[in-house]
Amino acid sequence: MSRIRHIFLIVGFLFLAATGLISPRARAATFTASLDRDTITLGDTATLSLTFEGSQPKSLTAPSAPGLDFGSPNKSFSQNIDFNSGQISSTVIISYPVTSQQPGEFTIPALTADVNGQQLSTLPLKLTVLKADAPPAAAIDSGDEIAFMKLSLPDKKVYVGQMLTAQLQVCWRDDAQNFGNFQLTGTPADGFTIDKMAQGQGRRTQIGNRIYTVVPFTVVLTAVKSGTLSIGPFIASATYMVPSSNGQGGDPFFRQFFNQGEQKPVTLATETVTTQSVPLPAENVPANFNGAVGDYQLTATVGPTNLTVGDPVTVRVRISGRGDLGSVTLPDQTALHDFKIFPPTSKVENSDHLGMEDTKTFEEIVTPQNADVHEWPRFSFSFFNPDDGKYHTLAEPAVPLVVKAAAATPMPTLAATQNPVPENQTPQDILPIKENLGTLSQNNLPLVAQPVFLATQALPVLAFLAAFIWRKRTDNLANNPRLRRKIAVEKLIQTGFADLQKYAAQDKSEEFFALLFRLLQEQLGERLDCPATAITENVVEENSILRGVNETTRSDLRELFQLCNQARYAPVRGTSELNSVAAKLEQTLGELQEVKA
Amino acid sequence: MKILIRSSERQFALIKRMLEPTHVGCYQFLVLFLALIFAGNIFAADVAAGFSGANKLYAEGKFADAANDYEKILASGAASPNLLFNYGNAEFKSGNLGKAIAAFRRAELLAPRDSEIRANLAFVRNQVQGATIRESRWQTWVNTLTLNEGALLTVVLFWTTLALLVARQIRPALVPKLKTATRIFAVLTICSASVLGLQAADHFSSATAVVISAEATARSGPFDEAQSAFTVHDGAELSVLDRHGGWIQAANGAGQTGWLPVKQVKILPGA
Repeated sequence: MSRIRHIFLIVGFLFLAATGLISPRARAATFTASLDRDTITLGDTATLSLTFEGSQPKSLTAPSAPGLDFGSPNKSFSQNIDFNSGQISSTVIISYPVTSQQPGEFTIPALTADVNGQQLSTLPLKLTVLKADAPPAAAIDSGDEIAFMKLSLPDKKVYVGQMLTAQLQVCWRDDAQNFGNFQLTGTPADGFTIDKMAQGQGRRTQIGNRIYTVVPFTVVLTAVKSGTLSIGPFIASATYMVPSSNGQGGDPFFRQFFNQGEQKPVTLATETVTTQSVPLPAENVPANFNGAVGDYQLTATVGPTNLTVGDPVTVRVRISGRGDLGSVTLPDQTALHDFKIFPPTSKVENSDHLGMEDTKTFEEIVTPQNADVHEWPRFSFSFFNPDDGKYHTLAEPAVPLVVKAAAATPMPTLAATQNPVPENQTPQDILPIKENLGTLSQNNLPLVAQPVFLATQALPVLAFLAAFIWRKRTDNLANNPRLRRKIAVEKLIQTGFADLQKYAAQDKSEEFFALLFRLLQEQLGERLDCPATAITENVVEENSILRGVNETTRSDLRELFQLCNQARYAPVRGTSELNSVAAKLEQTLGELQEVKA
Repeated sequence: MKILIRSSERQFALIKRMLEPTHVGCYQFLVLFLALIFAGNIFAADVAAGFSGANKLYAEGKFADAANDYEKILASGAASPNLLFNYGNAEFKSGNLGKAIAAFRRAELLAPRDSEIRANLAFVRNQVQGATIRESRWQTWVNTLTLNEGALLTVVLFWTTLALLVARQIRPALVPKLKTATRIFAVLTICSASVLGLQAADHFSSATAVVISAEATARSGPFDEAQSAFTVHDGAELSVLDRHGGWIQAANGAGQTGWLPVKQVKILPGA
């Protein structure tokens, strides 16, 4: 609805402006000054508003008043349309935050501004600043205070430069609903610097007959002078809700949900607490003490240690512990004439949320100036420990260095081979060059890009394929007796023919026909899948397979069998005739091999 | 370096004389053969002498001269991890971060497990300003071995696996005994071949450019008038995407791409 109303207003304004019904006629300008409240507590802030209606000021004298501090102004501008009169009025408000460092009654004098050539003035304003007092202990203990703060310091001797902590407790009663907007407005300290403040875990506790929520704050302080030091009163402002006095809202249950009630500001103040600070003892002060107060540890690293003249060496000094290390510097090193020392860098890291546990790391680059340097000297750091009230000196022993002359001496040895740099550690400088050339290699193609190398990889594959085929063949033969017999018969016939020709040449007809008969038996036995000894001339007529072959082959078989039989009874022929018989046998066996078994 | 050049000249003069038609004969061929055998040794001796000379210049603080001499040895075709390492050191000491990084990376290709090379490379890289690419974890892992070492390892595993398979074919009785070994070697071969494949792909397909000029401007196109895309500093490592004439298209560690003149970079194989 609000949005629709705004749209109507804008449209109406544009309409009226277009029709000339409204005009930005300036009314008589006014200049007024006001305070948002006329009484504040010490440390609290009031707001002075300078309001210009009808026009903007050309010049304005900045407000000032003795005892009051005016902060940076904030300017706002607004325009209002009066639909009844048809006029537009503009308002400029300049706001100043006003604070005071002391209690009392102050007057803000009349202010003058030039508005449209007119000198306009405001009326003087009065501001009363009340002293913020901590509530009496009896009121706190009885539970009468709705909220309060307590500040305490450790009850022990404090040395100048020592870091210590003060405890601030902010407490509010259970009936202070929605306690918030807590803001410390004053933290005065005399002889202390306030370094850091950290909020702790809140808790609930009973004070008197009431339950309070207590939120602790730890305030880190550094004593900067001797004598009586004080801190406080700390002043803070906050708000909380109280149930509405007119009884609206009825049921407390619903009030709880709808947050009905009155918001009340509250100013909280602590007592001023004091402690005694003593100067550091003048006795037994180490020569290199440079003001560090606390409890520290020292580590130092130097590297590389094997180098030539002019090479950089990184010296890293790490001082860690409890205390203010911000102002700690490295001891004077001007006596180190054998080294060129570059200005060190330092880095402070806080390891706790209060910033009391610090680690300061110094890093400096030094270069040995001659080959007579044999060590980086002992490094020491002194501090005063307030816990035991004594000075302490920490020292790191001298680090041996091997420094070689740049030109006249041999090359640096392979120090890095003896002390390889760990993977996870960043080197301080490049490692020295290598003395040995090492294994030379030509800029050849990688093996995987060389055709010969790739072709060579086919050899084991071919070997495997050959072995595989051989294995298959062997297995096949082993599992097939007919094939095995066929191969054996082929071999037998192959050698048999040679023997036949030999017998024919020697005219040994008896051996010739015995062998011929055997070859016939073996070939026919293999074809007919029956024992060779069971083969006779009759098989040509009786066997069904042989009955299927052509008549010429069968006739040749018969003839060959008959020749074998005749040879047993009558000596036969000569070499040429035996050769012709052998040729016939070869032809017949060839035809038999074509027969499907 | 003078010794190196003088010896090489003597060698070539001898070989040339031997090859003259009037001198060619059995005797000459024998001498030529022996000369070729010893030529390698003479060459290595010359390189070693040049290397020592450059080392001496380095020790005297004449880093630029030392770098120059190391470069000449490298230009002669010789290379060793130590030579490249020293060359990288000399270039670094001369203020040439890019050339130093390129040298250390070439040395790393030859000796990827050399902790000194890695340490100096890391140190120099830390001095480089601006965005730059870095090897991913898998690339670092894959490149623990050189490409040739990876190839030889794979070949040994491959040949062993096939020898076992052949043995199984020849002696079937050995199959039960060789079964586990064959499987292990087969798996190792596959793994090794896969890593080798990644390594080879990385080596041959992805090139890296190292900027060797103090500052280089990458442009949106391969010509001088093209709009500036980004600026890189000496030592920045870029991934090479494309090449065109005297220009390369490269991407920096921030994902920006642009064209750079080849003369301002040194191109290395692999990422």
